[in-house]
Amino acid sequence: MRTFIYSLQTALKSLWHEKWINLLTVLSVGVGLLILSLFITISLNIDSSLKRWSKNFGLVVYLDEGLTGEAEETLKQFFLKDPDFSEVKYVSKEQALQELRRMLGTGISVLEGFEDNPLPSSFELTFKRKLPEPSFVRRKADQLRQMNGVDDVEYGEKWLSSLHTLSGVMRTGIIFLGGAIFIAVTFVTYGTVKILFYRRKDEVETLKLLGATRHFIRLPFLVEGIFIGILGGIISSAALYGLYSFIIYKGPQYLPSISAFIIPLPLSVYIPAPVAGAVMSLIGSFFAVGKIKY
Amino acid sequence: MIQFSNVSKSYDEDVVLRDVSFAVEKGELAYITGPSGAGKTTLLKLIYCAERPDKGQIVVSSWDTAKLKQSTIPYLRRNVGIVFQDFRLLYNKTVFDNVALALRIHDMPPKEIKGKVNDVLKEVKLAHKAEILPQHLSGGEQQRVVIARAMVSRPTVLLADEPTGNLDAETSKTITNLFREINARGTTVLIATHNDSLFHGTGRRVFHLKDTHIEKETIG
Repeated sequence: MRTFIYSLQTALKSLWHEKWINLLTVLSVGVGLLILSLFITISLNIDSSLKRWSKNFGLVVYLDEGLTGEAEETLKQFFLKDPDFSEVKYVSKEQALQELRRMLGTGISVLEGFEDNPLPSSFELTFKRKLPEPSFVRRKADQLRQMNGVDDVEYGEKWLSSLHTLSGVMRTGIIFLGGAIFIAVTFVTYGTVKILFYRRKDEVETLKLLGATRHFIRLPFLVEGIFIGILGGIISSAALYGLYSFIIYKGPQYLPSISAFIIPLPLSVYIPAPVAGAVMSLIGSFFAVGKIKY
Repeated sequence: MIQFSNVSKSYDEDVVLRDVSFAVEKGELAYITGPSGAGKTTLLKLIYCAERPDKGQIVVSSWDTAKLKQSTIPYLRRNVGIVFQDFRLLYNKTVFDNVALALRIHDMPPKEIKGKVNDVLKEVKLAHKAEILPQHLSGGEQQRVVIARAMVSRPTVLLADEPTGNLDAETSKTITNLFREINARGTTVLIATHNDSLFHGTGRRVFHLKDTHIEKETIG
């Protein structure tokens, strides 16, 4: 504990004594983490928007012509019991026609050639899970097609696949960018701590000759690295908060549709940057100090 | 306390020590002398493991240095106080902090450190300069700070490498007296010097290092 307190004091003194190089490193770490935080935030917003848009995503089950009311009721009960669906809505032939007329508006004349209502009655089934996997939806649709009384099942397959691709691209982007930022921040801290270590080489040599353990020699440098990471993370989180607040409050003035994409960020979003900064910088510092030989 | 048995050391082709054997007893004050470049500093470095012998055995207290792992070397050094030829003081730390550093590495409580450092600074008559940076001290005073740092943890062995190298006769006498006082308390002291006047008339053993080996052993 006393060694840790000594290391803490030494690290704080060094932070102040070597303020310019430390400041530059803190800012570099801060910018790196801010880029990552921004990308994650944008992804979170896109993901949230996708989930909102796909909230009512479901299947349309078209029924066979001339199905009895009893058969329709049996199917309805079956769908209601299915745990994958949150909502089951019956649309009769007449309702379908009315809806079609409403949608066609002035183009209603295209229906004049039909003597009977050509539209089938159907069930609109809404999935419980938001943005379900395309393979899952396909499997479900195939399963329903096999049922008695079901003529066909339709859903926005291409639309669903596109949403999933977009979501996947964002996730992969975060992994690659996260990896790149991790390497960059670790190297920046590595370089700085290496310089600080060489500047205090005489002190390190003297400590070794006096009988200091490796742990005693290393700890102040590791603590300094952690401080650099935490400060960089705090700068990143503060900048993100400022930028996000600006977009939320001022953004709609310039781009009204932006409010449809932006979700309020919880406070917990601001914590990972300092923690990530500390971990990355600790790793960089560890390698910078290297193996201490006597 | 310090025992060399057939120790050899060379740097590339340059042989510095060849089959050196001698022993310094517990509680003894002894000298190693020889011309510049005779290998006195190397010999001391072998004792505190800053260098490793190519051949032979060195035993310090109960430590066989040849068998020491890297991670154990600090614990040997804590038992060996060293007065370096180039002082090795930290010029961004006060006299007090320079001396205290030797105790901080022992993880000693700050209160205890304060008491011990103040005591040892009184012994070397530098208590009034505790808060001064070393660069504002004379050569003799800096040397006394180094001795205080070497002594503060009460090591069993004290090594001094040319401790009066750059000092005037009067200051050298003060430093020599300090070593005698330290030895009188039971610490084994080995001083490497090329200055004959330091050991003349002391009645102590002197090992003469010449041409890579101990040429003779005399009484000063």
